[in-house]
Amino acid sequence: MPTAYPLPENVSPATVANTASLLRIIALGLISAAAIASRLFAVINFESIIHEFDPWFNYRATRVLASKGFYEFWNWFDPTAWYPLGRVVGGTIYPGLMTTSGVIYYILHALHLPVDIRNICVLLAPGFSALTAWATYMFTKEMKDDSAGLLAAAFIGIVPGYISRSVAGSYDNEAIAIFLLMFTFFSWIKALKQGSAFFGTIAALFYFYMVAAWGGYVFITNMIPLHALVLLLMGRFTSRLYVAYSSWYAIGTLASMQVPFVGFQPVRTSEHMAALGVFGLLQIVAFAQLVRAHVSSKQFQNLLFVAVVSTGVLGFFAIVGLTYKGWIAPWTGRFYSLWDTGYAKKYIPIIASVSEHQPTAWPSFFMDLHFLIWLFPAGVVMCFRALRDEHIFVIIYAAMASYFAGVMVRLMLALTPVVCVTSAVALSTLLDTYLDPTEPTVNEKAEPVNDPPSTNVPVTPKKAKKLKDKETAATARGALGDVVSSVTSAAGGSTTSPKTTKGIFGLDGRVAVLVNALGLLLFFVVHCTWVTANAYSSPSVVLASTNPDGSQHLIDDFREAYYWLRQNTAEDAVVMSWWDYGYQIAGMANRTTLVDNNTWNNTHIATVGKAMSSPEEVAYPILRKHDVNYVLVIFGGLIGYSGDDMNKFLWMVRISQGVWPDEIQEPNYFNNGEYRVDDRASPTMKECLMYKMTYYRFAQLFGGGQAIDRVRGQHMPANGPTLDYLEEAFTSENWIVRIYEVKKDDVLGRDLKVANAFGEGKKRKRTKPIARRKAIAA
Amino acid sequence: MLQHWRRLCLLVAGSLLPSLSLAGPSFENTAVVRTIELGGSVIHVSTTYAIKALEDGQTTYHIALAKDEKEKTSWMEAKIKGQAKPLAITVLDEDVDTDASSLVAVTLPKQLSAHGTLNLVFESVQTHATRPYPERAAQTDPQLLKYEADVFVLSPYDTLVQRTKVRSLSPDIISYSTPQGVDEFVRDGTVTRSGATITYGPYHNIPPSANVEFVSKYQQTISIHYNFDYPVLEVKNLERSVEVSHWGANLNVEDKIHLHNAGPALKGHFSRLEYQSQNFFGRLSPHTLDRLILQLPPGVTNVYYYDLNGNVSTSNLRAAPSVPKNSKASQNSILEMRPRYPLLGGWNYSFTLGFDTPLQDSVGWDAANDRYIVAVPVTTHISGSVVDEATVKIILPEGASNVEFTSPFHALSSSVSTHITYLDTIGRPAVTLAYEGLTGKHTGVIYVSYSVPFFAHLRKPLAVGAVFFGLFMLGFAAKRVDLRLHKQS
Repeated sequence: MPTAYPLPENVSPATVANTASLLRIIALGLISAAAIASRLFAVINFESIIHEFDPWFNYRATRVLASKGFYEFWNWFDPTAWYPLGRVVGGTIYPGLMTTSGVIYYILHALHLPVDIRNICVLLAPGFSALTAWATYMFTKEMKDDSAGLLAAAFIGIVPGYISRSVAGSYDNEAIAIFLLMFTFFSWIKALKQGSAFFGTIAALFYFYMVAAWGGYVFITNMIPLHALVLLLMGRFTSRLYVAYSSWYAIGTLASMQVPFVGFQPVRTSEHMAALGVFGLLQIVAFAQLVRAHVSSKQFQNLLFVAVVSTGVLGFFAIVGLTYKGWIAPWTGRFYSLWDTGYAKKYIPIIASVSEHQPTAWPSFFMDLHFLIWLFPAGVVMCFRALRDEHIFVIIYAAMASYFAGVMVRLMLALTPVVCVTSAVALSTLLDTYLDPTEPTVNEKAEPVNDPPSTNVPVTPKKAKKLKDKETAATARGALGDVVSSVTSAAGGSTTSPKTTKGIFGLDGRVAVLVNALGLLLFFVVHCTWVTANAYSSPSVVLASTNPDGSQHLIDDFREAYYWLRQNTAEDAVVMSWWDYGYQIAGMANRTTLVDNNTWNNTHIATVGKAMSSPEEVAYPILRKHDVNYVLVIFGGLIGYSGDDMNKFLWMVRISQGVWPDEIQEPNYFNNGEYRVDDRASPTMKECLMYKMTYYRFAQLFGGGQAIDRVRGQHMPANGPTLDYLEEAFTSENWIVRIYEVKKDDVLGRDLKVANAFGEGKKRKRTKPIARRKAIAA
Repeated sequence: MLQHWRRLCLLVAGSLLPSLSLAGPSFENTAVVRTIELGGSVIHVSTTYAIKALEDGQTTYHIALAKDEKEKTSWMEAKIKGQAKPLAITVLDEDVDTDASSLVAVTLPKQLSAHGTLNLVFESVQTHATRPYPERAAQTDPQLLKYEADVFVLSPYDTLVQRTKVRSLSPDIISYSTPQGVDEFVRDGTVTRSGATITYGPYHNIPPSANVEFVSKYQQTISIHYNFDYPVLEVKNLERSVEVSHWGANLNVEDKIHLHNAGPALKGHFSRLEYQSQNFFGRLSPHTLDRLILQLPPGVTNVYYYDLNGNVSTSNLRAAPSVPKNSKASQNSILEMRPRYPLLGGWNYSFTLGFDTPLQDSVGWDAANDRYIVAVPVTTHISGSVVDEATVKIILPEGASNVEFTSPFHALSSSVSTHITYLDTIGRPAVTLAYEGLTGKHTGVIYVSYSVPFFAHLRKPLAVGAVFFGLFMLGFAAKRVDLRLHKQS
């Protein structure tokens, strides 16, 4: 048999199998190491710190869990959040993440490894990314073979689209959710393939874990029924599907209802109805199949089919009817915004105000996925070529996730795994083709070749292809498998060596393509490393800049101000800030906040927005009624930090306008449609609390020179705003965080404005006439 | 030795004390000069007694401390003038007159015969002796403190002449009080001031004063109101934990420090603008602490400085090379650290500071007794501060036994407990000592001696090895057990 390059001979099959197995383990180990290592940029460049906003809450909750135990955590009512309402934390969170860290914490402590809970939280995401790589390997193995699995694992290990949510310190639900997603899907495919109730149950258990960990579980809740439905419509109903789906749905749904935050939603809300409907449909179809097995009339079967479809349609209308009657909760606003991207901006500004809820820009697809984004369609096409049940799953997944990733930036995360899987399938097919050493036989007569080593009956090319497909399905052969089979056939000639008429001649063609593929892979690694190091590893609590001599300088204003609050204010002090900083204040300053990142109460947030966007005398009663002691604003104008409150201010105005349309109107804050903060700012803008707190005494910093706001690039007036009802309590080193104390009522019962004017001696106006008289006398 | 002296002192005191009041004094102070160095949270007082024995065979001299003076005093030492070796002193529990004063017995180095003279220097450090006055100051205000003391140095003996000098670091003394009704001791001037020094006295022919009659009749308080140019610092709480590692050849020291600026509380609010302009012109208010300079031992590595919110990146370390033990270090490592925010009057800042030092610099091997001896400094002193409460926990290697320790000065309490940390099986013995009122004078080392049997060194690797071996065996077994119901052929 001609080969393009020489192969080692006399290698026993056992040695090949063992070597392959060892290499697989080593490769997986290295992939896990790479996945973890690339996420540690954040720790090495900065420190072991919790990032951003939501992770601070998760971290705080985990600390409660670790220090006070599970039941205390479960029943935790937090009076310091959403003051004065408080928050029932145990019932309004997905506890999976905290419980995971808590369990790890307890296990390590039981082993006398007293690891700090913070380090567990920081390193949880990298640890789980290694597990994700493994789960993706298992999943892709079901799609094609081991080599595709390893490629997929390597891709998901370092692809920026996933790293963005799982760097060390990014202690968020997504950190463990992607692993759970992939493993649930793997178990589902496995259950479907084998018709195994065991794997169905595993899928259900991991589905439960997913429900406990992330709100995105709805994706699984709809993906699996959709897959089942498509299989059904394609006429691929089998008892395997029935067993897999029924075991997954029954156990998974019951288990998911144990999570307090989910409760009865699986039977009450529209998002979960698809799963229930498909479950019902499958029962009917299974029943019909049973009947069909006993009745042989073809017409009867057709009748049955009609009955089944009509029952399904009826069921659908029943669900719609129940929704209208109010028995089933309709879709939530967040869900509508998935279908209509303009919906949130119109009706729920609070959702639209979050940057990660914006539609995805094209460059970010390349940034997050690099060359995988153009291998992705090729991989989907590959799936169409084989089109087994699991390939249909991947195709549906690809279609759905592509849509969602286009709608919302944060859902890029859901797309990333399927891109990795399909790209790996595509690339692995390419490599298989070009690494395969067998040279195609030139068959001039276009006739099946009868070769002595072939023990098979003569095969036509078509048959050979089918045969090969079958083999792939049975033994999951890949590039390695090809080599193995050719080696073994060369050694013993025991297996079949399919004679292909398609293939690559010579080495040059192979080398050219392989070098190109290798180059792509290398650039992918370089790109991933660069993006991870530069774009996704900043804790955002600490900002990095460089000194004139090139050394790193950390801008640590947030922690400075939060620590000041923690150490030098009363323990029960109430701090008001925009909701973005609520979790950080609770986590780092340990003080009571009015609103935080769990944006459950729009009115409360609008109240804070109103206080911020109203003049002082209107805001003051609001502040006093809410027992506010300190007000915190973020100001980046001095060093050019663009994510400050003045830039978010319009959202505050919009959100409070939604509740008080008579008092707050967005156009009032513009000067002829321009957003100005300098001396051309609108009067409403100049009077509002946010503007005053932001620019209080800012111009004086420039010592008579022209003050400039470096974020908005506008020159500030020399006479800045004055404050009567608040006074400056603390300003951080680079003026990023400014904290104001709300004054108590005047002791003499005067209005604070009057009292201030008196204190500054402005009442001396009375003496003016005397001065004039003197002048006359002179 | 110390115990022995103590017992002796008590015996001597017990036999002497009744005779003090009955048989008349055995000493006479020819001159007493007290010098008070005004400071922030720490006041240094040095009193020189020129004593003359009136009887033969005197070995013990008594120094009287007024009641509130004794409460403030956190450290004391007596010496013969010009000599470096401190004398043994004992604070007597059975006071002559509990209301007026308490006595400190000083054991003289040699017997003093009648009319023998000696110059005795008694040094003490007072903490929390000053208070900010006014209690609140704005950011740009100066820092004014008030110190109060008694005008007369008490003594159970006759005093021929006595004076008190109060020295301030800066000549900017706002006011000082003039004692009234001391005319019968005064010959020329009750109080004089020259520059930064205020002298009370000289007062002549003072009778034995360590009794209620004298105190109630003549004693009065003098107060000095002065400008102090450095932050008044208090360490409310210090928790030092020292871990000895033989495998790592490392001594880790970690301090949890709760720092408080005890200067005048900030009136109004902190203005960053003001602070930045003060900083720009190099005229920082005296009650603003913007940086601390700490002297760490030579040879420190892995210095870390963090607080509850994580690492604090604003610090500089100038590390000095390690020096072998028992030799004098020519220089210390200098850590220049900035708190997260400038510490104004009344503000708090808590942080954790830790470092590693080579173990051979502080652990010795006593071959004769088959024991290790480790020397651990009690604190890393923050210049000009007082430590209100300190706990020092020394964690010895796992399996250390026969733990003995000596404290350089009196500890409030001491105990040995078990501390369990990384991969310990039975835990490590830990010595915990509690102190209060530590100042720059409290710079001793705690010596802990212990023995570690050979097997104890091997305990951890063996335990970890056994666990991994067990895991591999389990994996080995699990791979070979087939639980499938339907065997695949």
